[in-house]
Amino acid sequence: MTSDILVVGGGPAGLAAGTEAASNGLSVLVVDERTTLGGQIFKQPGVGFRVTDANALGHDFVRGRTLIEAAERSGAMLMTRTTVVAIRGTEVVLVTDDVEARTVKARRVIVAPGAHDRPVVFPGWTLPGVITAGGAQSLVKTQRVLPGHAIAFAGSGPLALAFPAQLRGYGANVTVVLEAGPPPGLRDVSRLARAARGNVRLLRDAVSYRARLLRDRVPLRYRRIVVRAEGTDRVERVVHAAVDDAWRPLEGTEEVVEADTLCVGYGFVPSVEALRLARCEFGYDEDLGGPVVIRDGWLRTTVDGISAAGDGAGVRGSYAAIDEGRLAALGAAADLGAISGDVGRRRASPLHRRLARREAFRRALRRLHAVGPGVYELAERGTVVCRCEELTAEELDHAIATSADINAIKAVSRVAMGMCQGRNCQRHVAASIARRHGGSIGSLPVATPRMPLRPVAIGAVADASIEDGGYFTRGE
Amino acid sequence: MASKRADVHHVLPAGGWLGREELAQPLPPTTDVLIVGGGLAGTAVAYYLAREGIDTVLVERGELNREASGTNAGSFHFQIAIHQLTAAETENVRDRLSTEVRLHAEAAHVWKGLERELDGLLDLHFTGGLMVAETATELRLLHDKRVIEEEAGLEIEILEGDALRGFAPYLAEDLLGASFCPDEGHANPALAAPLFALRAVQAGAVIRTNAEVTAIELAADGGSGRFVVTTAAGRIRAHRLVNAAGAWASQLASQLGLVLPLRSEGLHLNVTEPREHVLEPMVQHIGRRLTLKQTANHSFIIGGGWPSRPESPPRRHSTRWESMAGNVAVAMRVVPLLANVRVVRTWSGVMAFTDDLAPVVGESSRVPGYHTLVATTGFTLSPLLARLLAETMASGRNTIPPMFSVDRPPERVPAT
Repeated sequence: MTSDILVVGGGPAGLAAGTEAASNGLSVLVVDERTTLGGQIFKQPGVGFRVTDANALGHDFVRGRTLIEAAERSGAMLMTRTTVVAIRGTEVVLVTDDVEARTVKARRVIVAPGAHDRPVVFPGWTLPGVITAGGAQSLVKTQRVLPGHAIAFAGSGPLALAFPAQLRGYGANVTVVLEAGPPPGLRDVSRLARAARGNVRLLRDAVSYRARLLRDRVPLRYRRIVVRAEGTDRVERVVHAAVDDAWRPLEGTEEVVEADTLCVGYGFVPSVEALRLARCEFGYDEDLGGPVVIRDGWLRTTVDGISAAGDGAGVRGSYAAIDEGRLAALGAAADLGAISGDVGRRRASPLHRRLARREAFRRALRRLHAVGPGVYELAERGTVVCRCEELTAEELDHAIATSADINAIKAVSRVAMGMCQGRNCQRHVAASIARRHGGSIGSLPVATPRMPLRPVAIGAVADASIEDGGYFTRGE
Repeated sequence: MASKRADVHHVLPAGGWLGREELAQPLPPTTDVLIVGGGLAGTAVAYYLAREGIDTVLVERGELNREASGTNAGSFHFQIAIHQLTAAETENVRDRLSTEVRLHAEAAHVWKGLERELDGLLDLHFTGGLMVAETATELRLLHDKRVIEEEAGLEIEILEGDALRGFAPYLAEDLLGASFCPDEGHANPALAAPLFALRAVQAGAVIRTNAEVTAIELAADGGSGRFVVTTAAGRIRAHRLVNAAGAWASQLASQLGLVLPLRSEGLHLNVTEPREHVLEPMVQHIGRRLTLKQTANHSFIIGGGWPSRPESPPRRHSTRWESMAGNVAVAMRVVPLLANVRVVRTWSGVMAFTDDLAPVVGESSRVPGYHTLVATTGFTLSPLLARLLAETMASGRNTIPPMFSVDRPPERVPAT
């Protein structure tokens, strides 16, 4: 199978990229692993639900529908339930429904995989009733189900206000909202005001979320972090404490709140597995979610033919993601000669301008939400760190004592070798290595990226027609 | 399902693993024996030498156990494999096979006692091993090899028809037969070399990591050691040297102008999610590249010699989609229930292949004091060969079969 452009991910960036590329006459394939398009933010109601009043579902739902419908009209081929399992240059292996594998040769690949919740390990994080903000959002958006009866929210970032407010809107009982960062001060407000141009919508949203929590008398506690979830078979209590600027808990400040659900949302981290496997070069910026792929002005990575757009290339939110998707598509269209360089530059210039304003706004918010290293130091000796392999912090520390090399640590402890392929524990492991042996999380080499990018059924990938490679030939 | 936890990974050996700080201490200036290579071969020789009271230092380029020793699938291969059989027409090769199978039987014996000897868990499982045949020709090969194997003292049974079905109901119904060797099984490759290393240090050996050898010179005066070795961790003089550098042994040997009959190849492996335990023995194929087993944490490991893609260092070899698709297809052909089991990871390892597939063990006659220990089926054979080499070095009496000699004439090496 071939295509001019393959877009990986059908969220804001991917949909915008697919639409833009197709409107320039290129053949486009957009793939997404979910059953519906829209990504996490524009997640559509699940099978069996019918939307009778789109406006009742809120502003984001309408934005999402508009984007999806534009992509459907654009002529791009849209494939859901399709996962990228391997990538080498612009050759990509896709698996649909875990039954059928196919290889796509594209001239350009735009990787827009989005982001997932920043995984945070603390005592009790594996108890039933602890749920990530992203997971809780999926429940609400696709199934109209609230995650629990008495919900405590702990996190940081714009979502720490938005999500509890949205939950309140659905009638949930939110018992407390813990924001690890400081409350906005006068200087923050003036900084935000200076960066407000082009970002009014974002500001208005933030103000309305805060108003909602105030009106509903939901306690909003700044500079506090969850240190422990307690309960016998599920969450019954949440213990939280005041933190310093590095998000390290201050002694003697612990408080307990009753809750049957703890929703955790310390921001998002880019889903970088495909870009890593493709061998793109990376930098590190914890404020953008950690590993950030290196790109040029057209969002091209360091690997020929591969561009990256949206939160998967650094978490900046859905408005920026849409502009980035279009920008990446314009760059690819110009590279492939579908439009002239001049036309590309002309169309890109308003996008660049808008993205610059978003960036200014993001920087203005930075003091409030900069992630403190303390969030990676909450595990106690017996806390399970790698839930796939049931490995505790103490057992991990024994492995880390033998080596600073993540690959060696994996081999001796089996950490990060299970079903989640390290997505849940690798940040904690990296922080533990840095703490023991020096250095920073961002400067440590990462584990060797390996296929498949998602677990994939043997029946789907088995190909009996492939010649036995044999180890007695000299390979390639 | 019960816990997925493979407990061996959570039980520390008495004394705990070697610490990174200890492995980074300065190199001593002199030693009797210097071992180059911190894989299974090197750490095992270090252990057996130190136990004999011999002054031993081991230097490793990177971290311990990171190459073939730690990245192979951990299988014990005692039955003759297809690649050995295809050349079995001549009497000469038949003798060699017979010698090797005798060695395999001895290796089985060493592995069986290893957990007790090293006082630690190795995730040892003597589950037996099946080698399946799909065609009439392959079935005939099974019978042929059994003759050699039994002569050499390896217990082998051929199962066909209902007997095979009853013994291994998970196998595809149309397989014609299988040979079963009860001694085969597997150990955990992540644990074997680290445990040898730990016990070697406790017995008095010195081990240093991140100590890549950059030069080896022969000193004019042998006073404090004839080998003058420069490493990334400093310089050391040794009376005797053991090249246990695996896939990089040829490169190392060339520093003194020696040519070893070795090349290196990258292998691709697959591991699945854990599933209900159904597969007791290891499963191989007499005619196709396959090793398949279910580990203590219930994952299936699928390998057998499919190539990985070479990369320029320091990148590790990358795994190949084609190897995964082809390898799991053979596995599913043999054990159909694998169809709905998911692959979660692939990995690769680089291993040494001797051109005639026999190990290279012993002292060089051209450079006295220079020893090698490299084997193609290195995981299976290294503990035994390390013991033989250490005994020879300690006693001066050579117990190593001459056909494994580092000096063996080049005409033994078939053209590739």
